Amino acid sequence: MADPLYTKLCDLIGVQYPIVAFTPFREVAAAVIEAGAFAVLAGAPQEPDRIAEDIRWLRQRLGGKPFGIDLLLPSSAPPVGTIEELQAQIPEGHRRFVEAMKERHRIPQPKNPPEHYNLGWINQDRARRQLDVALEERVPVLAFGLGSPAFILEAAHSRGIKVFGLVGKPRQAKREIEAGVDAIIAQGSDAAGHTGSIGTFSIVPAVAAIAGETPVIAAGGVTTGRHLAAALCLGAAGVWTGTLWLATEEADEAPVLKQKLVAASAEDTVHSTCISGFSMRVLRCAWTEEWEAPGAPEPLSAPYQLILGAEVHQAAKDYTIEPFMTEAAGQGVGFVTAVRPVREVVQALVDEARAALEGAASGSPVTTPG
Amino acid sequence: MAPADAGDAYPMRPGFDGAMAGRVAECEGGGPAAGGAFGGREEFAGTLTGEYVDHGDPPWRWYRLVGLSRKPASYPWDAVWCESGSLFFADE
Repeated sequence: MADPLYTKLCDLIGVQYPIVAFTPFREVAAAVIEAGAFAVLAGAPQEPDRIAEDIRWLRQRLGGKPFGIDLLLPSSAPPVGTIEELQAQIPEGHRRFVEAMKERHRIPQPKNPPEHYNLGWINQDRARRQLDVALEERVPVLAFGLGSPAFILEAAHSRGIKVFGLVGKPRQAKREIEAGVDAIIAQGSDAAGHTGSIGTFSIVPAVAAIAGETPVIAAGGVTTGRHLAAALCLGAAGVWTGTLWLATEEADEAPVLKQKLVAASAEDTVHSTCISGFSMRVLRCAWTEEWEAPGAPEPLSAPYQLILGAEVHQAAKDYTIEPFMTEAAGQGVGFVTAVRPVREVVQALVDEARAALEGAASGSPVTTPG
Repeated sequence: MAPADAGDAYPMRPGFDGAMAGRVAECEGGGPAAGGAFGGREEFAGTLTGEYVDHGDPPWRWYRLVGLSRKPASYPWDAVWCESGSLFFADE
């Protein structure tokens, strides 16, 4: 009998298991791939030189096994300005709200310049430089977590690079599939960070119905083998996972955040514009609670909300101010209950997926972790 | 939408597409924030002016959308540049 976990995604990439780990940590990426799954390293936060270094590091460590780099492409751009010009446009009421919050919580000035002032999205050049490096290095897989990769497909394919596009709506999927992406990631609103408004259970089969031969990868809330099994039943050829890997031993995540992730349930995530002005799902923290409280102003649009909160978020990081520390986390975080080695996580996903598929077929569904 | 840096490496070639001018469109917008530490989606709807800019090579085409009938709360402008792959039309 054919192995239900060996799908056309495995064929496309050349991996044993249809599990894609999205991670900002190259040690995690390497460990996932060494365990038989696939990994895509977040390239968007990195300068081009660092992306090139990471690609070479992974090549050397993995000895020819494929890996991916994820980039975020802007797809809309307002008029630009310097940080000072943008700061001057922030309403006084919002400034006073944040200053009062800082006083109440005794948040000091940050030690380091706020990272959030690096507004790379306003400048297409940064995305382009990152893209140029990935093309030049002929990374095996280029994934685009935001934006349409249609304009770069020919350049990527001519270099032997496979391209994955992540979407939040079926019409985006149709556009990218028709343009020729090699796999489409259908991301549901359970997901961490930027998400659309359609739930995973709805978007995955909708995209699978229009994808034809293009493998569909289900994203949003996937943290267990049962999720993997369900995704395959919905027509996906694999899963895209993120939150799960933040709490692994190999992840270079702040210990405080690892513990927050392990302790969190689905109700501990919130979909809010209060961090960046963009709608994103993160772990609840003192900052999100303040913006949900009665009398709080409406968060500003990007980039103003980002600039407004930059010093608070930087101070929280610099001084490990736990109540204000947060991380993008999907609703599946409730199933992340321990810090474990990557290899153990991969094996648990695989074993539980097999048990779930067998259980469903025999009328004995798996309802608890294996 | 011109880049804020001086000495940019990528040419920006403006143009005008008469076939797009006046069309009502929706933009599945957004992008990376905080230097790419995270990203976000924003939706817009409005009317295309026909103006575009081709960024770099291969050309990454951006169209200007004005008279915004849908935009994020607190978005202070009445215009946005939208990447061509993220534009959708009612008759599609």
